[in-house]
Amino acid sequence: MLRIFALAAVAAVLTAACGVAAAAPAAAAGTTLTGAGSTFVAPLVAQWAPAVGQAFGYELQYSPIGSGGGVTAVTNRTVDFGATDAPLSSDQFAACKGCVQIPWALSATSVIYNLQGVKNLLHMNGATLAKIFSGAITKWNDAAIKKLNPGVALPGTSIATVHRSDNSGTTFNFTDFLASASPKWHSKVGTGVAVNWPNGTGARGSSGVAATVAQTPGAIGYVDVAYALRSHITYFAMQNRSGKYATPGLKGILAAASSDQKPDATNALSIVNPPKKFPLAYPISTYTYVVVPTQSAKAPELRKFLFWAVTKGQQAGPKLLFQPIPKPVLVVAEKAIAKLHT
Amino acid sequence: MAEPDASLDATRRPFTGRRVRFGDLALQTVAGAAALAASVLVCLIAYTIVRDSRAAWSDSGLGFVTRVSWDPVKHVYGAGSFLFGTALTSLLALALATPLAIGIALFLTELAPRWVRAPVTALVETLAAIPSVVIGLWGILVLGPVLRDRVEPALHSGLGFIPLFGRPASTGSSIFTAVVVLTIMILPIVASISRELFLGVPRDLKEGALALGTTRWEMVRGVVFPYARGGIAAAMILGLGRAIGEAIAVTQVIGSTVGIHWNLFSTGDTLAGKIAASYQGAEDKAQVASLVYLALILLVFSLVMSVAAQWIVRRVARRQGLAVGPGGVA
Repeated sequence: MLRIFALAAVAAVLTAACGVAAAAPAAAAGTTLTGAGSTFVAPLVAQWAPAVGQAFGYELQYSPIGSGGGVTAVTNRTVDFGATDAPLSSDQFAACKGCVQIPWALSATSVIYNLQGVKNLLHMNGATLAKIFSGAITKWNDAAIKKLNPGVALPGTSIATVHRSDNSGTTFNFTDFLASASPKWHSKVGTGVAVNWPNGTGARGSSGVAATVAQTPGAIGYVDVAYALRSHITYFAMQNRSGKYATPGLKGILAAASSDQKPDATNALSIVNPPKKFPLAYPISTYTYVVVPTQSAKAPELRKFLFWAVTKGQQAGPKLLFQPIPKPVLVVAEKAIAKLHT
Repeated sequence: MAEPDASLDATRRPFTGRRVRFGDLALQTVAGAAALAASVLVCLIAYTIVRDSRAAWSDSGLGFVTRVSWDPVKHVYGAGSFLFGTALTSLLALALATPLAIGIALFLTELAPRWVRAPVTALVETLAAIPSVVIGLWGILVLGPVLRDRVEPALHSGLGFIPLFGRPASTGSSIFTAVVVLTIMILPIVASISRELFLGVPRDLKEGALALGTTRWEMVRGVVFPYARGGIAAAMILGLGRAIGEAIAVTQVIGSTVGIHWNLFSTGDTLAGKIAASYQGAEDKAQVASLVYLALILLVFSLVMSVAAQWIVRRVARRQGLAVGPGGVA
């Protein structure tokens, strides 16, 4: 008898808990927009949240859990929008059932280093960087690095490479660049939010990479440019296809963005390592995307918010080193947003 | 079962008196529900893990356990390197922490002046309350560089002929840093349980030994240790469990690389660390299934440890013919 009571009580508690959990999102509908994904775009979204609240009275809640997590979350419809730095694969599109991705921000990845005693802004290129991250180049005074930095007295310090141990859109952008600059990297390692690194040390998050690089003389790592700038870490001027060197600033990002202004059928754009007719381009630039279901109960609110984000919201970008998205891309983004419906 | 005495049984039977009935019923219901919920939860977790890892299980079977690879681009996954890392880091951490913890416990119960005991006990217990992410951060910023610049070169030049002490790491992240971080994390667990155990050793026994003219060390070795042996074993297993399961602090300092090698000063990874680093945002289904498979291996590993702990404690207690001190059978 008692046992049955106990069982019934447990069952009641469990059902109640489930009921509450299921009811929560519905109760909040209309006023709150929840999103999850890219950590890269998080500082920008954080700037947007209060402005969106003022303009429309929406509460914007964004969890920077990483691009892959954002895609999973929107696929399961646990959030209203996901954000990803890597364009969705065809499998991901299929799984997401009627999702659309819209480019909504534009920035770059910086390659940071820690080399005491060298004051110059050092130069680097993709082929050499791929060799460094493969472990083929191990010393700072290697002939390949010397050749890129004539006149600089490079010490014989060992190079320690540092990469992200968690899944990251920054890793996607960085390995995408290495793969485009080095056929060997392309075939041996490849491109992804996480890859099988041939050597080096993994660190957790941009902050982990930055801290490890800062603690390690001779280290090379990569973080999004806003992070590098905020924490005053030295980064390379990267050689682009024209042979010129560009720093990850707004000008370099804009020049890279002008290399591809025609989003493909899925609205994806590739601006990594652009062709040589863009001499100002910073070669590790990237779009980042918002992923939303074409049909959803909150479509009117999402439409308003996203229109605002790709237009007025872009003004908040430059001081965080997000370049406002160019006109032709904006037109495509607006068209895609207009199609969202209930 | 024999008919129990009614007065004794009153505590067990809530339906005897009208006034008592409601309170007893409520207590029984709440307590029963709590116990049931805990068991149900473990079963649900096990069920989910088995279900979600099925894809990886049917794909690579038991070969997954020993395969040394983790390539999210080419979709080749295996647990070998992480299983090795988990075993190496947790066992070494336990080996470092146990003597230290027993020393602390002995100091606090037998040797320290009375006014020192309370504050030091509180401090040791505070160590257990530091969030692992904070210890990990300290590991990156302070401990790692110190180990790399001072301890590792010294160990390498002195004991470099042992494969464990290979070439020092370039960054502060290494298996060795992870071991030291884990040692710090399990130290307070083993120390506070040992302290409780030593406090539980009957005063008569200790004073009897001292009255027989033993030194303090002989008394500790002859009376305190044998009395607390089973409990210490259990405390060690609890500490080991903590070391096996610790994820965040490990991912922060271990360097997260795949491969099996004996050089402590190089990078590695553990099961829990890999899951913590890669689960969030894992892109393809094969990788998610493989990560859950890692969780399954971790679960089985912990279960084996827990059962082994119970077994060791019972065996030691039986051999001694002594009751295990408080906190012994946890």
